[in-house]
Amino acid sequence: MDRWFLIAATALAAAGGITGMWTVHRGTRSRWTVIWIIAAFLAQIGFLYLRGQARGACPLMGMGEILAFLAWSLTLFYLAVGPAYRLSLLGVFTAPLVVIIQILALLPGVWISDPERLPATDAWRETHAAMSVLSYGALALAAVAGVMFLVLDRQLKDHHLQSGLFRNLPPVRELLKSMIRLLWIGVLLLSVGVIAGFVMQRQGGTAHLIAASAVWVSYAALLSIRQVRGLTGRRTAMAAVLLFVLSLSVFALV
Amino acid sequence: MELVCVGLNHRTAPVEVRERFAVPQGKLGDSARELLQIEGLEESVVLSTCNRTEFYLAGDHAEQAAAELRRRLAQAHGADSDPHWYEHHRLHAAKHLCRVVSGLDSMVLGETEIFGQAKEAYRQALDAGATSGVLNRVFQRAFGIGKKVRTDTRIQEGATSVAGASVELAEKIFGKLAGCRVIVIGAGEMSRQTAQALVSRGATTVFVTNRSYDKAVGLAEEMGGRAVHFDEWQSVLAGVDVVISSTAAPHPVVLPHHIEAVRRIRKFRPLFLIDIAVPRDIDPACGEIEEVYLYDIDTLEQLAIEARIRREKQIIECDRIIEEELSKLNLPGT
Repeated sequence: MDRWFLIAATALAAAGGITGMWTVHRGTRSRWTVIWIIAAFLAQIGFLYLRGQARGACPLMGMGEILAFLAWSLTLFYLAVGPAYRLSLLGVFTAPLVVIIQILALLPGVWISDPERLPATDAWRETHAAMSVLSYGALALAAVAGVMFLVLDRQLKDHHLQSGLFRNLPPVRELLKSMIRLLWIGVLLLSVGVIAGFVMQRQGGTAHLIAASAVWVSYAALLSIRQVRGLTGRRTAMAAVLLFVLSLSVFALV
Repeated sequence: MELVCVGLNHRTAPVEVRERFAVPQGKLGDSARELLQIEGLEESVVLSTCNRTEFYLAGDHAEQAAAELRRRLAQAHGADSDPHWYEHHRLHAAKHLCRVVSGLDSMVLGETEIFGQAKEAYRQALDAGATSGVLNRVFQRAFGIGKKVRTDTRIQEGATSVAGASVELAEKIFGKLAGCRVIVIGAGEMSRQTAQALVSRGATTVFVTNRSYDKAVGLAEEMGGRAVHFDEWQSVLAGVDVVISSTAAPHPVVLPHHIEAVRRIRKFRPLFLIDIAVPRDIDPACGEIEEVYLYDIDTLEQLAIEARIRREKQIIECDRIIEEELSKLNLPGT
């Protein structure tokens, strides 16, 4: 049953992405994208609830659950940031990423069909896992905003202003603001996750924590440089995208 | 009951003719009521803008009344104006009104001001008791159709002037322009128009610099801004978001090193450079700086032309909507 919730969430996010891209191609606003993504979000909650019941803990055991939780976190931050800042197009860019992450979660070998109930829970371990994956949702969305910025920046620089995409993209300054806010939220959540990781009882996993700490230091350095010295929008966006891609290596060390 | 529209506009009459028939804005209702003295006329609305004067008439013998109106106008303002008048009868008159309120008959295709002007003309006629069953229904339906045309088509899309295109780009870069700071280099007419357009959309601080300081002071006062001596403009560059340059200098005035010098102080915030001078005032190399968006007069003009072409392509669709909507109604007098 939980698998079907995740499949439904993937189909709904795909529908949101496709309808959004179609409306953008036609040069109109993608008003329905947010509705599709809300539906996908509800299906994700259904999946996480069932998995949580089965595990008796936050469902973050194994790559499939981590990826599904990451997709949920990404959707959560889109719903928190996108409509509030009138960044409706953010959904069009977010939906494909959610679909890809969830398809990866459903792949044979990644997906665990009969989750074992955990005998006991460690609050620090759960905090570490939940906060870290949640932070990745914010950082992933910052990377999505970064891609949108890079597209808009290129179009403005090259004077290619006639596409439906250009008309629908939010202003440069709004994109930068939301990207920076998301980076701050991501870094704050990751700080809690990393601290909890050091406090929890561990049997190995040192390489994972070192990698997570390196990710944290990189993002903190990016924000500090931008805050103190200043950084062009293009470099900030490129760093947000690059750091997110590199930071995914942390999952390989789980 | 007959519906007739008698009018002249920017296409049929030059300004020296139009100005003779212009009705002051506060007197549209009184003029409409006075027209009811003409025999056979029961209702009227007078619409008068800088580009048109039109009389919408309804009555059992409105066509005869229209001929009488034209005779009186010729008597009062000169017979030479007669070839400039046009007349639309019944359904054509209703269709014409729909085109007018939709901005299809305007000098700037798709402009929105005419909608408000037509509403005001109708309101004054209504308050003066010059309208009743026919014109009330015709005007209210025309406003509804006008709204539908603007919502369902792209007739309003894109700026059709250099100043408008600059504002659209500024909004694409900065979002809301409230709090945006602008420097105008060269106090010419084009830069005045562009700066004014930015101020009308919320830009708050305007610095004006010019080789002749007096001219800079004059424009700064007009904009509610501050004049800066020409040899000091670089000192305010660090604090501005938009630079509008339009001097008569034969060589570039804004050079890459001017911007490089303030990038750190600006913390690499986006900078929008608008070069509306010929020869160009801003060195094209400035556009290669990462956070700088540079647009010259040719690019802005091209954007305005493309917007006009896009709007013209929408006319057929707009007319189709008007035809379709009118065919659904059984308007009196048509």
